[in-house]
Amino acid sequence: MRRPTWLDSPKRELWLAWGATVGFYNLYAVVFFLITRTQPPGQPSYGDAGVVSWFASHHDGLLVGMAFIFALGGLSSTSLALITYSIRRMSVSRAYAYAYLLVYAVAAIPGFLFICVAMTAGAMRPDRSPELQRWLYDLGFLSFSGTMGVFLIGSLVWMTAILLDKNRVFPKWFGYLNLCNALTEVVVAPAWFFDRGAFAWNGLVAWWINVFVFGIYTGVFITLLRSMIRREDFGTGPLPDLPPRKPRRSPENAVATAAS
Amino acid sequence: MTRPTAGESIIVTSLPMIAVIWIAAFFVFPGFLPPLSPRAPSNEIATFYREHAARVRYSMVLLNWFSVALIPLLMVIVERMRAMAHRTPVLRYCTLGVAAAAPIVFLTATVFWLLAAFRPDRAPDLTQLFNDLAWITFTCGVPFLVAQCLFLAGAVYLDQQARPVFPRWVAHFNLLVAAALIPAAFAGLTKTGAFAWDGVVSFWVKNAAIAIWIVVMAVVVGRTKPAGAEATA
Repeated sequence: MRRPTWLDSPKRELWLAWGATVGFYNLYAVVFFLITRTQPPGQPSYGDAGVVSWFASHHDGLLVGMAFIFALGGLSSTSLALITYSIRRMSVSRAYAYAYLLVYAVAAIPGFLFICVAMTAGAMRPDRSPELQRWLYDLGFLSFSGTMGVFLIGSLVWMTAILLDKNRVFPKWFGYLNLCNALTEVVVAPAWFFDRGAFAWNGLVAWWINVFVFGIYTGVFITLLRSMIRREDFGTGPLPDLPPRKPRRSPENAVATAAS
Repeated sequence: MTRPTAGESIIVTSLPMIAVIWIAAFFVFPGFLPPLSPRAPSNEIATFYREHAARVRYSMVLLNWFSVALIPLLMVIVERMRAMAHRTPVLRYCTLGVAAAAPIVFLTATVFWLLAAFRPDRAPDLTQLFNDLAWITFTCGVPFLVAQCLFLAGAVYLDQQARPVFPRWVAHFNLLVAAALIPAAFAGLTKTGAFAWDGVVSFWVKNAAIAIWIVVMAVVVGRTKPAGAEATA
């Protein structure tokens, strides 16, 4: 078998991690939006009976979807690793890089493992007392939306690093986009106080705006990480600009070059 | 520049002792031999905790103390990764990103088991709830272990130098362990058969894979000479 050329590239680990990051976020979106249909979330105002019928109508999707996260959720670490690497490439203390890595690494447990455990427990035993099913429902949604400090502090750490950085790893406007992401966690807090309306965990503010900002933010940072990898020169100074696009060579030229 | 490796041998050689504690606690916990069935009704689960409260507590306190003792071994592995022929530390960061979470998921499961045993006279439905949370966390909570095996396999495959840090079979072995762990993630889907949390695949294969992984990686790490790391790392 021919050895693929990218395997000899010095950037191969970065590309592998980037590919896994793209794979992970796609899996995450498919699982939460399509398979489990836990996004958009169920209503926080449901009574015991409402929760029981919610579990009944989501039964198979919950069990299958959460199982995929149980199997592959650890790949989320690849995006943390790349972001940590990006901060390390900046002209700021590595304390920022490690702070980012640790905040997100530990937060994985309340941030996404708890919803998987709670929803699996609820779906596994539909005959459990409705009051306890509702307890699991709350645990699932509130641990998922309500694990806020990670994104708040994590985004501020990344933002500060980007704004201080002199190596041009990220554009400054992306630093401010981090601030937007951090602020979404501030507006999620009322989800702990209200069970209906715009501020509830499924409401306009705590869910729709939040997911909209997070979606844009994630798409942007994945794209910017890709461009960082392409620009990486393994130096310590400013990152060079993207190389200009290669002009497409006509077949005759290619033959001429190969012959020379 | 070489990095100090003093003390690594203590971490590696203390593992057999820790393993004895893990194995002892595994056998002391009355819910593992045979594993508690997900089909058991709540009053049976409540009776189990009433009758075995003391043994549940002893064994789970031990596992709570020592599950996290895996982290030092994982960190020695991360230190060994420095000497691999990688251009960037990104695979090390990937591993660091999951290394703490892997044992702490297990620690969380012990907390649920201890809660179930703390007030055995609680309403049976509540005891069953804690029992379910413990078993699901314990059985399905493999994402960080799976990822760790995948990262390590990738790191070994990409360590292309005349004398690689770990032999190539370590990469194949880690892929195999990841494959053995993944089915347990699906244990929620059934209460009977090999994939249920008390089944051959989700209980025995998964836990044997973790045990073998720890033994094999400890031996591999113990045998490979700590190499001097690059100054760039």
